[in-house]
Amino acid sequence: MRTTEIAVIGAGPAGIGAALAAARNGSNVVVIDENLAPGGHLRWTMARQTGFGPPLDGLRGDEIAFWAAGELRASGVEVLTSSVAWGLFDDSTVGVHTPDASFQLQAAHVIIATGATDLTWPFPGWELPGVLTATASLRMMHLDRVLPGQRVAVLGSGADADAVAADLAACGADLVHRQPGVDGVTVGGSGLVEWIEVDGARSGCDAVVLALGRQPDAQLAHQAQVASTYAADNGVFVVVRDESLASSVPNIFVAGDAAGVGSPARAFAEGSVAGEAASGGVGLSGALQRLREVEQHPESLPLMPRIADDTLVCRCEEVRAGALRAAIADGAVSINDLKRRTRSGMGICQGVYCHRTMSGMIAAEAGIAVDAILPMTARPPARLIPMAALADLEP
Amino acid sequence: MTTRHATNRIAVHPVLGENPRQEKVRVLCDGEPLQALAGESIATTLRAHGVSIYRAMPETGSSRGLFCGVGRCPDCMMTVDGVLNVRACVTPVRDGMVIETQRDLGAWKVRV
Repeated sequence: MRTTEIAVIGAGPAGIGAALAAARNGSNVVVIDENLAPGGHLRWTMARQTGFGPPLDGLRGDEIAFWAAGELRASGVEVLTSSVAWGLFDDSTVGVHTPDASFQLQAAHVIIATGATDLTWPFPGWELPGVLTATASLRMMHLDRVLPGQRVAVLGSGADADAVAADLAACGADLVHRQPGVDGVTVGGSGLVEWIEVDGARSGCDAVVLALGRQPDAQLAHQAQVASTYAADNGVFVVVRDESLASSVPNIFVAGDAAGVGSPARAFAEGSVAGEAASGGVGLSGALQRLREVEQHPESLPLMPRIADDTLVCRCEEVRAGALRAAIADGAVSINDLKRRTRSGMGICQGVYCHRTMSGMIAAEAGIAVDAILPMTARPPARLIPMAALADLEP
Repeated sequence: MTTRHATNRIAVHPVLGENPRQEKVRVLCDGEPLQALAGESIATTLRAHGVSIYRAMPETGSSRGLFCGVGRCPDCMMTVDGVLNVRACVTPVRDGMVIETQRDLGAWKVRV
């Protein structure tokens, strides 16, 4: 068992804000992040940022990520990269797996800054190689300098979707189709994506990018059984927090997109608030003031499309919509029940890419209000870890 | 059946310019030697050579490729140096790496 004053989970804008604020106040801080370097989505964001305040405004996302890596180093923050926080247990103890070690980290305060994941919806052919998320596309282009395809369709609306479409075009891809959501879309090809068809009109393509929005990723907070409430603007249950971003469980804070999606600058400001509050800093009122000044730009999310019975819903366990509808007709009216009966949501992604379809289908088929359909029980591990991570766990 | 997409390396990035990764390494994918740049992900190397299919699923046999790009989903799991279920999207290439398309749940080839 290792100990620290503050454990920050995630080194995106919220985690960076939290860690730097806590370190300024003299706290001992450990940051755990699954990527190769700190920055989160900023690392593959080419747009110039606003709302961060000086000296960061006007810098590109990737430049802010580079700045943050230097600041964290200079502040004496221990940053564990390529490392996962896979469980959050009693007494604010975090299960950590790094490339070198596997251990429990007991922290006086845990700040969950795990960000958001891409929101997706099922449609015919979405499992074919060549259909990929906006994040996968951006990482491939901006971290590794490879285009996800040469003739690309982009599905989604809003600023994030516009950005990925613009980046694809700037990097040399031809945009063959663009529409706000997945309604009416069929993707096909023999073994991989070769075409996209919308209302009978077919275009040849070799990649289909899903830019349908983001969803909060707060699995660790839910493991800790924090109070949550349904948020219509996020389409999921989100963590209930007080003004200092503390959850209902003592010593557990949640900052940034993990508690509801917003701009990177807002996540950074939220991180600063949680970092100040967790470290008992004198800067809390200033951080709260900056958070109030950051504009929030909520974007409307696409609604669940019509889903045909033979369309795959759960990609991991290969469960189709028809099987889910049959189970709901048979009496499955909770996500946990639907999961047990069909295996949907039981796979490696832990339901990230199907839980919303599951709750949407229960609501539609069984006539239950979507805010009355509780999320599936969050259990460790929150990330894929080898069995050796548990076998080698330091006592 | 089509097995390859067109190749897609970005010669000069419109914002970031030249690729700082210049060290060339070689990997084997299903027996075929492929040139890669040290530090990039397996998925990137394969996509740069037009290889989009990384595995075949156990239930339906349907092919899968890069999907989430962040190590969350099972779609890009390949057998790498004999180890099953390696996520191609978040695993950097290493010189001499032996990469294989994974069928079903794969079969162990090494003791780890």
